[in-house]
Amino acid sequence: MIDPVSIGVAGLGVLVALILLRMPVAIAMIAVGVGGTWILSLMVPHVRFWPYLRQFKTLLWENAASYELSVVPLFVLMGYIAAESRLSSDLFRGLEALLSGRRGGVAMAAVGACGAFGAVSGSSLATAATMGRVALPELDRQGYDPRLATGALAAGGTLGILIPPSVALVLYAIIVEGSILEMFRAAIVPGILAMAGFVAVVAVLVRLDPALAPPARPMPAAERRAALRRLVPVLCIFGAIIGGLGFGLFTPTPAASVGVFLIAGWGFWLRARGEGGLDLAGLGRAVRASAVTTGMIYLILFGAEVLRGFFARAGLPQAISEWAGASGLDPMLVLIVMLALLIVLGCFMESLAMILVVVPFFWPTLVALNGGEGVTASAAAFGMTNDELRIWFGILMLAVVELGLITPPVGLNVFIIAQLATQVPMATVFRGVLPFVAAEIARVGLILGAPILVLGLPRLMGG
Amino acid sequence: MRGLLHRLSLGFALAGGALLGLVVLITTANAGAFILDRIARLAGGNVAALPGYEEFVALTTGCAAILFLPWCQSRRGHVAVDVLVARVPAAFNRALGRLWAALTSAVAAALAWAMLNGLWSLRADGAITAVLGWPVWPFLAPAVAALGLWSAVAAAQVLGPDAGGARE
Repeated sequence: MIDPVSIGVAGLGVLVALILLRMPVAIAMIAVGVGGTWILSLMVPHVRFWPYLRQFKTLLWENAASYELSVVPLFVLMGYIAAESRLSSDLFRGLEALLSGRRGGVAMAAVGACGAFGAVSGSSLATAATMGRVALPELDRQGYDPRLATGALAAGGTLGILIPPSVALVLYAIIVEGSILEMFRAAIVPGILAMAGFVAVVAVLVRLDPALAPPARPMPAAERRAALRRLVPVLCIFGAIIGGLGFGLFTPTPAASVGVFLIAGWGFWLRARGEGGLDLAGLGRAVRASAVTTGMIYLILFGAEVLRGFFARAGLPQAISEWAGASGLDPMLVLIVMLALLIVLGCFMESLAMILVVVPFFWPTLVALNGGEGVTASAAAFGMTNDELRIWFGILMLAVVELGLITPPVGLNVFIIAQLATQVPMATVFRGVLPFVAAEIARVGLILGAPILVLGLPRLMGG
Repeated sequence: MRGLLHRLSLGFALAGGALLGLVVLITTANAGAFILDRIARLAGGNVAALPGYEEFVALTTGCAAILFLPWCQSRRGHVAVDVLVARVPAAFNRALGRLWAALTSAVAAALAWAMLNGLWSLRADGAITAVLGWPVWPFLAPAVAALGLWSAVAAAQVLGPDAGGARE
């Protein structure tokens, strides 16, 4: 008789093969989960297939109709509605008004606007595309070197993954059964570090090579006042969402709902005043795009649930745990290999999809390496409890996912910006993004070496 | 036929969007009541939250998410990894595309059948929600229809000229 763990390992191999053959990931998970359990039932006496199949009568519904998960479609919808409203251009123009008095200020404003817009968008590709459309023409008009303009926007587009509230953080917290609020708190310092790092890169580059940016050209006073006036409501809306979460007025689902309500309301108000904003066609586009993203996420979460059932019956998590404990592998080395793998995957996969696919495999392995369930900080391999490891790894992972999106030769954000800047060769965009890649690598190293940067705020705010 | 399936999928997606809109309104009202309650408590008063709000949100977003599946399939939105097969001949790619679309159609049909059975069981058992006391099975009815439509959309992609193609 074949050992159940071997069937589980074979199932994992088949899953990887099917995914590499471009089978939709969720369908591959469901097929391997059900097929693997059927094979197990033929080999292992205590695994019974028909009672297992009967669970499917309500399994999908029970997974979908969950209050905890309801935050996902709402945050996704908020991001798409924000993209259809005029928030992106108001953000950019407002920050440009604040920063245009310094050399490189417009590029810095583009980075800042990417960070703020990305927080509500949650998708790095959508952020790069939206802010690229808004900021690239202005950077070009003012005579910024295409290297700096495209590099800053490709890098800035990645910020949305980490800066809270972000869909990526929500999904990660749901998959690892952690606290969404704690993840938001943990992401604040690394998010600010990322934005500050990118702004610093712009400042250093224009200092080293002044030809990259035109001399500072402060915005005319009337234009500046108008831009700042338009920035205020946008900041109020973002402040209401983030402040409401931070001060405990909302849990994530109400925060997302209030976000949708305020952003859509503001967009319609602008439209009614004839100042652009959101119309019904834009709302329809946002709903259609949300339907695609939400359908993708829910199906992968369901697929992961089916797969988890198979692996649990095969005893794979316990086997990995025992193997990791006995292997003598350096946990930090395994963590670094995982992060490197994420950079490679980031070249091919959208960030949300990547998180959904890899976390169910990486997280249990890390728990095992840390010393298993219930390990204390003093006895743990990473020197922290599993609750803190969950937070630290999540932030590290998202930082690395950001890095993968701008890493040559195939960073997806670079392609998005290159598509928008049709006059700029791809090689120029990649050259432009390299200094930002260096800043990102430095940040990942900093977070890896100093977990307190991530864990400090949750510890402080959590008491 | 493909045009009809496309329009139906879009209709389901927009219906799901309308449900999400309802969730936004109810949740915002509930959040407003929560904030008002905090203020009213300072003066010794109170403002009641909506009873059964979490149940309503769970049922409605669950239904909306499943209503989105046919449209997601129609737009080839279910994530797949293009690492290896991007470099193989187009004919092989198309064949793989047809095979995976057929499998997706079968999985969706099986899930529709399973959920239909679940619906009958919940109806027969008289299952209701804990706080609102609403019967659960009516929420599954549109979900079963959506799963059936998802299966049909995937089946149409097996026969379609763009099988194995990039996302629309």
